[in-house]
Amino acid sequence: MKALAGEDQVSITHEDVDRAHDRGRVLDARTRRGFSSQARLLWLLIGPGVLVMLGENDGPSMLSYAATGAKFGIGFFLPFVALTFCMAIVVQEMTVRLGAATHRGHAELIFDRFGPFWGWFSMIDLGIGNFLTLITEFIAVRAGLGFFGVPPWLAILIALAILYAALMSHRYWTWERVTLAAAAFNLIFIPVALMSHPNWQSVGHAFVTWQPVPGFSKDTLLIVLADIGATVTPWMLFFQQSATVDKGMTTKDIRFGRIDTVLGATLAAAAAIATILATAPLFAHQMSAENFEAGQFAQALEPVIGRFGAALFALGMVEAGIVAAITISTSSAYAFGEVTHKPHSLNLPMGEGKSFYAVLTLCAVAAAAIVLIPGLQLVYVVLIVNVVAVLAMPPALVFLYMLVNDREIMGDLVSPLWANMIAAAVVFLLTAAGVLFGVSIIAPKLFAAIGGR
Amino acid sequence: MKNFSADKSWILSTLEPDQLVKAKKHRIPRRNLKGGELAVLWSLRVYLVFMMIVVAYQFWTAAR
Repeated sequence: MKALAGEDQVSITHEDVDRAHDRGRVLDARTRRGFSSQARLLWLLIGPGVLVMLGENDGPSMLSYAATGAKFGIGFFLPFVALTFCMAIVVQEMTVRLGAATHRGHAELIFDRFGPFWGWFSMIDLGIGNFLTLITEFIAVRAGLGFFGVPPWLAILIALAILYAALMSHRYWTWERVTLAAAAFNLIFIPVALMSHPNWQSVGHAFVTWQPVPGFSKDTLLIVLADIGATVTPWMLFFQQSATVDKGMTTKDIRFGRIDTVLGATLAAAAAIATILATAPLFAHQMSAENFEAGQFAQALEPVIGRFGAALFALGMVEAGIVAAITISTSSAYAFGEVTHKPHSLNLPMGEGKSFYAVLTLCAVAAAAIVLIPGLQLVYVVLIVNVVAVLAMPPALVFLYMLVNDREIMGDLVSPLWANMIAAAVVFLLTAAGVLFGVSIIAPKLFAAIGGR
Repeated sequence: MKNFSADKSWILSTLEPDQLVKAKKHRIPRRNLKGGELAVLWSLRVYLVFMMIVVAYQFWTAAR
């Protein structure tokens, strides 16, 4: 890419100044030696990876994990969920490299390298997926706060107020830290799991043997798809790459970007597995929970984990919805700015980033308004949104694969063979799971013939 | 856009040239997609559209 000719010709924007301040601290920490400076460097550089992983532990994802525990108990799905997070690490690490090497967002790269025809296809996928998911985040907030008797309109207003408060500073760094602090509450599911007194022997057995394996049925397939969609979705690719760019990370920061991604995945996997453990007692009591919303799970768990535990569970759902609403609406705004070449950064003052903040706010407000329409049945949207994410993932992954292996923009940072093989395997598995899902819907007899029930 | 001339040298030494907002106005050149790549992209596009119809059908039958 072309470097700028000289200092005199360069106009510096507010966004450049803010990013330079963030980078200045990183460069300063890098000049020092010792454990404390490395720890400071890690503190300065973590963010996009942890946020994307904990952001994806969102309303529908936590409901998928809760439904998994309630429907299948402790068994196959514990190591399976851990495996899906390993898959997420491989995929998300590619976005760190892309962002650091090109300093461009994912949508911008697709548009520039492959042209608007393919660019708009991927934007439509992203837009539809993001909007459906945003609706479900507000459903989770409404249901979670509903457990405490908060009326729906007030619950939605609280969520929008927190989203707006995170944006108020007009600084990427402050936004990231505020959102990280909120995302830390995702770990609330760990004490909830401990309160349900899981049988640790069964947990250990499940991780070692992947047993008991559930029967091959339409319900099992739906849960498999929902749990995969709870860890890898298109918005995560767009968000982490754009956030990596907005944070100002460079190729020298890739190692910390990887640590950030692994740390995020580890925390998110811990919260996900904790949620399965927390609701596993419902499986033991043979309680039908497939259409439960967040508040109903909390109520059902109350006899097992007590009022305090149930309240924590409901609060966890509220947090999951709010953090995801922040990150998903931000990913939509980044993508819009990237393809229209309008300013797109959380470092922009309101006056310079009107379109960026307008898109971000409009997405959130429109999704929130839909949730408040009386009598609208949205339960099925919650159940299906992760499935839609899995179905949209193979095309998104192929774009990612092509970009990250494009030597013209990546130079020596192209993916190694082993990473490409894993990426190809992930695309194959997701497509195969999607095809099986399709067969189970449109050709149930064929599904039965291949062993499905 | 505001100019921050006093900080200019420091900013230019802190950020990589491609990180500046002005540098991002340069578009990355387009690449030609090969036949095999186009075939994969079209196949996945058809797959996605078909699967979305399946999801819409399931949504419709569940809502009835």
